Amino acid sequence: MDATTAPHHIPPEMSQYGEENHIFEIMQNMLEQLLIHQPKDPILFMINHLQLDNDNVPKIVILGPPASGKTTIAMWLCKHLNSNLLTVENLIAKEFSSLAAAARKHYQINKRVPSMQLVRLIQDRVSEEDCVRRGWILDGIPETREQALMIQTVGITPRHVIVLSAPDTVLIERNLGKRIDPQTGEIYHTTFDWPSESEIQDRLIVPVGISELETAGKLLEYHRNIVRIFPSYPKILKVISADQPCVDVFYQALTYVQTNHRSNAPFTPRVLLCGPMGSGKSLQAALLAQKYSLVNVCCGQLLKEAVADKSKFGEVIQPFFEKDMAVPDSLIMKVLSERLNQQDCIQKGWVLHGFPRDLDQALMMDSLGYKPNRVFFLNVPFDSVLERLTLRRTDPITGERYHLMYKPPPTTEIQDRLLQNPKDAEEHVKFKMDLFYRNAAELEEFYGQALTINGDQDPYTVFEYIESGIINPLPQKVP
Amino acid sequence: MEAGGSREREARNYLEKHQIMELLKYLTSVLLFIRPEKPREYLIAILEKLRIAKATGVAFPFFMDHSNITAMFDMMDSSKKGTISFVQYKEALKTLGLCPADEVLKDDGHAITLDKFKSEVKRMRPRALA
Repeated sequence: MDATTAPHHIPPEMSQYGEENHIFEIMQNMLEQLLIHQPKDPILFMINHLQLDNDNVPKIVILGPPASGKTTIAMWLCKHLNSNLLTVENLIAKEFSSLAAAARKHYQINKRVPSMQLVRLIQDRVSEEDCVRRGWILDGIPETREQALMIQTVGITPRHVIVLSAPDTVLIERNLGKRIDPQTGEIYHTTFDWPSESEIQDRLIVPVGISELETAGKLLEYHRNIVRIFPSYPKILKVISADQPCVDVFYQALTYVQTNHRSNAPFTPRVLLCGPMGSGKSLQAALLAQKYSLVNVCCGQLLKEAVADKSKFGEVIQPFFEKDMAVPDSLIMKVLSERLNQQDCIQKGWVLHGFPRDLDQALMMDSLGYKPNRVFFLNVPFDSVLERLTLRRTDPITGERYHLMYKPPPTTEIQDRLLQNPKDAEEHVKFKMDLFYRNAAELEEFYGQALTINGDQDPYTVFEYIESGIINPLPQKVP
Repeated sequence: MEAGGSREREARNYLEKHQIMELLKYLTSVLLFIRPEKPREYLIAILEKLRIAKATGVAFPFFMDHSNITAMFDMMDSSKKGTISFVQYKEALKTLGLCPADEVLKDDGHAITLDKFKSEVKRMRPRALA
């Protein structure tokens, strides 16, 4: 019954399937819901949960001081993501609810709703059909830590929390220019966001409570409360500066809301690095292999090794090398398959570079089942490539490699005897670059989820970008 | 944080009572083995079958079916005597999740044969579905 004598070889198809269909996340969400609600009949509950299929609907909380633009951002996000907006105002405005009526009375007297009632109202609203189906965006709720904890206890957990922040002086000044359209409820501003139609301009009214003193008072209370709400949402909170044009704030909020958080799903990276000659693919591959124990598969190297080993593939490839002709795709594919099928590649993951170079090779690789789960395109402008490659030199006596700009030889004696590899000559580099760019567009289209990185920076910066691309889940596209 | 502690205990008890973790493990294994095009629909189908099996008391090929039980028996009976010892039998039931730790099984002195093993597993299966 034990697996120690014959270790399990999990076929790679299983992990690929698991990743593509997000099986881990589906199960994790189901378990979370089961634990929150603890239904008497778990199987029925699970069936209903799976049928809803609402793991990825927006569940967003937007917090921020008065005049930060919360409501504007919340409304825009709502429209863009086709979701439902929940604010204190529209919760207590609900008809046919005695709870809402009681809350309204309280609000009229004290200008605030008691936390218990507010949380109950939220609970009712969130369990309604349209919130379950299309998600919800809470604007300005929770206002205090007590509310945050109560909402959590009821089982309502947001997936993204955005906190807008701006210096107090900016906010006080901004609040003075606030205007509201009584018909649509949209908020405008005399300087930053003036409506273009004159009929809207005419009906704008000045809202109550925007004098400097009142705004300062509200800000004081806000700061007191927000500090204690931060720890309730440790990993899902993001602070966005509200002291910039609203379109920028909106764009940042939208990108954040569309990212998935890192999950604990098992993940073996299968990375593909694409880029012209001299973009730094081999260097990045070596760094990745070293840090994450991936197998570094360089296509050119693989072929040369096969020839040197005089393996059966090597003997077939050798005549192509001798005549300086390109090795046919099918042959390359065979050598590559042999390497990628080995146990260490399957278990640890791989970093591939130097292949595929055009759409046909990519299609061949895909049909054999080697699908990378992260693809990176390294962009380097032509001049940088030339600079990087044409200044490479090798010392024939020690074998040491130098670069006239980035790693110059220490003495003039060495410098005099340096030689250049004919493959680094300018015409050859140009030829290879053209070849790459002719095929790059098709490759980019084929690998739809590829990430483009600016390769024209120092290697460790590029490495950090690649790392974050591998570790963070791929962003989800808005349907 | 007493309140937190008791809710956590409640949650753990709930998981154990309904054997949720075993169920989820089974569902995940089936998905990865069969790799259906539409995982959600497939999961819903399996869960529906489970519901019906529970309601009508019909034995559902839940964790193990006959070939697996025979294979398990053969693995334990390495010398091919045709019987397994009582200790092995108890361990096997624990692995299948059919024998809660506090139940005492009677050792009637005879070694367990394949047929007895199969019938015991079948007998205990409906209990496991509760």
